[in-house]
Amino acid sequence: MDIQAYISSGKLELFVLGELSERERNEVIQLAKQYPEIQHELDQIEEAFFQFDNQTGINPSSTVKKKIFESFDKGMGNSPEVVMTTPKEEVTIKTVSIQPWKAYFAAASIVAVLASGVAVYFAMQYNDVDRRFTALLQEQTVLAEELNQYKVNFEEADTQLETLLAGNFERIPMKGEGFEMQKDAAVDVWWDKASESVFVSVNNLSGLEEQYDYQLWAIGEQGPVGIGLVNAGQKFSLQQMQAVASAGAFAITIEPKGGSESPTLEKLVVLGNVG
Amino acid sequence: MEEEQLIAGLRAQNRKTVEYLYDKYSRALFAVISRIITDKDIAEEVFHDAFIKITRKIDSYDESKGRLYTWMANICRNAAIDKTRSKEFSKSSKTNTIDDYVYGLESESGTSELVDGIGVKELLVDLNEEQRFVIECIYFKGYTHSEISEEFDLPLGTVKSRIRAAINVLKKNLDRI
Repeated sequence: MDIQAYISSGKLELFVLGELSERERNEVIQLAKQYPEIQHELDQIEEAFFQFDNQTGINPSSTVKKKIFESFDKGMGNSPEVVMTTPKEEVTIKTVSIQPWKAYFAAASIVAVLASGVAVYFAMQYNDVDRRFTALLQEQTVLAEELNQYKVNFEEADTQLETLLAGNFERIPMKGEGFEMQKDAAVDVWWDKASESVFVSVNNLSGLEEQYDYQLWAIGEQGPVGIGLVNAGQKFSLQQMQAVASAGAFAITIEPKGGSESPTLEKLVVLGNVG
Repeated sequence: MEEEQLIAGLRAQNRKTVEYLYDKYSRALFAVISRIITDKDIAEEVFHDAFIKITRKIDSYDESKGRLYTWMANICRNAAIDKTRSKEFSKSSKTNTIDDYVYGLESESGTSELVDGIGVKELLVDLNEEQRFVIECIYFKGYTHSEISEEFDLPLGTVKSRIRAAINVLKKNLDRI
C-alpha cells in the first residue's frame, strides 16, 4: 500500500473534519493503527486544526462562561442544555426510525414502478389485441356478406341453369346494328315456346339516366307488346320476362321510367327476328 | 493535565476538570462556531449548547477514533451548521468570507484579539485562490466537502486535494508564527 499516496489523498483531513462515512472512518482508524506514518500525519492535522482554531479565535464572553457553568451545575434536570440536546437526539432517533420506513418506501416505489411498467405493457398488449380483434370482426362480417352474396348468386345461377336445361329454349340474338342509338348493343332473348317463358341476357348495353328504362317488346300479329323492363347493368345473367305465346321478333326501346304502353320507335335500340 | 486524565475527569462529571477543559479549549471551539455564525449572540448561544453537550455526551467519545479536540470541534461545527440551516436562521447569513471575518475581528475586538486578528491574516495570506475558496467554504460557511463538489461543480477528488493543500499551507504558517 502506498502510504504517501493515501496521506496525500486528502482523506485524513476529511477524517478530522468529521466528513467521512462510517466505513471510511473505520478504514482510516485501522490504517492509522497499522502505519505510524498515517497516525503521525493524523496527529499533525489534528494539532494544526487546534492551533488554527485557537490562534484565530477570540474568547467567548464571560457571560457565556457563567451560563455554561450554571447549566452544568443544574445537571441533567431542566437545564437549557437538555432543551438544546433534545432536538439533536430526536434527530438521531428519527433517522433510525425513518430508515425502515425509507426502505419500505423505496421497496414500494420499486414495486409501483414495476407494476406501472407491467400495467402499461399489458394495456398496450390489450389495445393491440383489441384492435386486431375488431379488424377480424370486420373482416368476418365482410366475408359473411360476401358468402351470402355468393350463395344468392349461386342459387340464382343454379335456378337459371335448371330452367335452361329443363326447357327447350331458342336463342334470339338482338343487335344494335342498323339503328342510331347503340350500334354495338347486343342482347339475347331466350324463349321456350312450349312453356311460353322468356328470358333476356344482356351482353352489351349502355347505362341509362335515372328517368329512363329499357323495355322489351314482343312483336306479334297484334303489334308490339311490352313484356318487361331490362336491367342493363345485370350482364350475362338471365332476367325473366313476361310470358309470350307467339312473336315474330323481339326489340328493346328506351322508354320513360316504368315503361310505356306502346314503344317509342325513334328510340329503338336492338331488334332480333325469331329464326 | 494529560488528555487521558482530562477524559476520565469529564466522565466523572468533575467540575474542576470541566473548568480546565473550558479554559483550554473554549477559545478554539468558539472560533469554530463564530467562523460560521458571525452574529456574536447567536454564536454564543450555540457555543453554550454545544459545550454543555460535550460535557453530557463525553461517554460517547471514543479515544480510538481521534483526539478529544477533534471530537469537540466536530460537535461545535455541526451545531453551528445545524443552526445556519434552521428555519429562524436565514440563509443569507451564510455569506461570510475570510475578509469579513478578519476585518470583523480587527474592528470589534480589543488589543489582545487584535494581535490574533493579524495572526489570522498571516495564516491565510499564503493560500492561493483555490485554497482560499475551499477554506472559506468549509471553515467559514459550513459547507461539507461533498456540498462544495455539488454546488460548485468540482470533482470530489479536486475538492479533497485542495483541502489538503490548503491545510498544509496553514500548518506551515502555524509553525512559523
